Amino acid sequence: MASEEMGPAISARGVVKSFGQLRVLDELTLDIPRGVTYCLLGPNGSGKTTLIRAIVGLLKLDAGDLKVLGTPVSRVQEIYSKIGYMTQHKALYPDLTLQENLEFFAGLYGIGKQEREQRIVELLKMVNLQGLSRRLAGALSGGMYQRLSLACTLIHEPELLLLDEPTVGVDPRLRQTFWEYFERLASDGKTVLITTHLMDEAEKCRIVGYMKAGKMTAVGSPDEIKRQAGLKPHLELWLKDIESDCARLRAEGYEIEILDGVARLRLESHKQIKSVLEIVSPLDMRLKEPMLEEAFLQLSEAA
Amino acid sequence: MIQVSLSRIGVVALRVVRQLKRDRRTIGLIAFAPIVLMILFGYALSGEMSGVALGLVDEGGHPALRSHLEGIEDFEILRLGSESDAELLVSQGRLNGAVVLQPEEVRVLLDASSLQISQAILAAAQSGAQKEAASLQRPGVVTTRYLFGYDLEMMDTVGPAILGLVVFFFTFINAAISFIRERSQGTLEKFMVSPLSRVEIVLGYVLGFSLFTLLQSTTTLLVVTFGFKVPMRGNPLTALAVVLLLGAGALVLGSFLSNFARSEFQVVQFIPLIITPQIVLCGVWWPMQSIPEFIRPISYMLPLTYAGDALRAVMLKGSSLTEILFPDLLALAVFFLVFFAAATLMLRRQVD
Repeated sequence: MASEEMGPAISARGVVKSFGQLRVLDELTLDIPRGVTYCLLGPNGSGKTTLIRAIVGLLKLDAGDLKVLGTPVSRVQEIYSKIGYMTQHKALYPDLTLQENLEFFAGLYGIGKQEREQRIVELLKMVNLQGLSRRLAGALSGGMYQRLSLACTLIHEPELLLLDEPTVGVDPRLRQTFWEYFERLASDGKTVLITTHLMDEAEKCRIVGYMKAGKMTAVGSPDEIKRQAGLKPHLELWLKDIESDCARLRAEGYEIEILDGVARLRLESHKQIKSVLEIVSPLDMRLKEPMLEEAFLQLSEAA
Repeated sequence: MIQVSLSRIGVVALRVVRQLKRDRRTIGLIAFAPIVLMILFGYALSGEMSGVALGLVDEGGHPALRSHLEGIEDFEILRLGSESDAELLVSQGRLNGAVVLQPEEVRVLLDASSLQISQAILAAAQSGAQKEAASLQRPGVVTTRYLFGYDLEMMDTVGPAILGLVVFFFTFINAAISFIRERSQGTLEKFMVSPLSRVEIVLGYVLGFSLFTLLQSTTTLLVVTFGFKVPMRGNPLTALAVVLLLGAGALVLGSFLSNFARSEFQVVQFIPLIITPQIVLCGVWWPMQSIPEFIRPISYMLPLTYAGDALRAVMLKGSSLTEILFPDLLALAVFFLVFFAAATLMLRRQVD
């Protein structure tokens, strides 16, 4: 069905889930388009893991409408072969070798031997564990274990990947490899939903959804989020005659504060840099982009 | 809608086998625990004996048997006036047993709490009666009364039951621990979001563990029959079928009960609750007759009761599969099905 194929990977309307008195998902509404990397961010206890578990049908919703790859969540088990789910638990067998772990998960999805072997080689290379296939998973370091877990989640080439904190304990260089891989999956039309606490990772996602107290409080690309939070880039200027230069800029309507002899000027847009340089000629200057982290701090205080 | 895929069951079974295969301690336990138990129960309890206090009530008719008994050096004979005296003294433990000679019948009263001694007395009475029968040209009738009641040779009784016990114990503990781990390491949650169904998970386990049950049963049967000379009158394959069904029951019970334990440590605490009652109440070490009537219904709910009975029937009586179908195999099958249903239902998809 064309509408199911083209519709969002995940669409939630007024989703409610309570545990006793606690409303963990509070009329949450969200759309995750297909073929993107989507980052779910939010403070601890904001409901990120609960949302992921609701998406895979492990939790019964109290109210609302939730569709996964066009299928209502009540029938989500019919499309489990299209979903890759990685929990914060690593979900591996320490007493099996890497190869055996991968073979086991491949077997659950009915992947034939030849394709399986090919996928295993490819995935072990991607997670940089090639050559260790005969080693026991229990003998791996924390980061390696994490990488194996990711490989097991990817073994059946899922259309929708749900990764709960996939890069914990993974070193920055390999994390970069992961992100390139996720980006490649997204380009191939697969959808990657990731939760993370790491802001610099969130910046790498095409879309970031900020979750607080069971609701989506901000959604957009990292740049859009910063704009929503009202954060602007700053220009730091080192000036010869700081007092008079600042007075001239203020006269033109710029907001400036002086900190430790450096003028900090708030920009509405990057185009303003040119007009600033027509007014003053600084000894040195530096452009400071707002941090996503600041945006979320602002948003979580405001919400 | 339950779809069961044989290949997925096989995938789970293969994984279980690979994991167990790597666990050398468990393999050792599988192979040697039955032998150790067998030696404990079989050899340690038997031994030479002397100074057996035997009461003799002579109401006439068996002079040859009487002198045979009096001629045995190990026995200290006490002559008694009546059978009720003998009964009293045996039940008080002052006599190990008594022989009542009556013209029509010879009755042997035995103290079942000391089995080896009882056997010695019985053997003496029987051989004496046989000798006498040969000289008198008429059959010697010896009837036995157990005051606490055993009726088979120790090793013959215990051998088949040890086989059942060890299989039950091993499978129960390992299954419960395996399922605890599936939960704690997050693999169970991952299964729940995969095409693998709950029925397939449990059946995969049953299949994987069955291989080890077979290995264990075969070694145990070899030791029991060749090492301890317990007869194997029936088909060994019938005995293996009984053990496999028992093992499957233990597995689903372990899987089910793993829901009520948070750690491997807590699983071990199930032993006194699950394993001990089976030993005490299965009617092997303490006969069913000695179990108070209000507890007996529990005995009839325990799988080891039926497995022990079926294994003894197959090994000692040579019963066929159809002869042990009712009630033993049926009871084991019902036990398996009930806990199979309970175990699969407990592996819930919706974890609220």
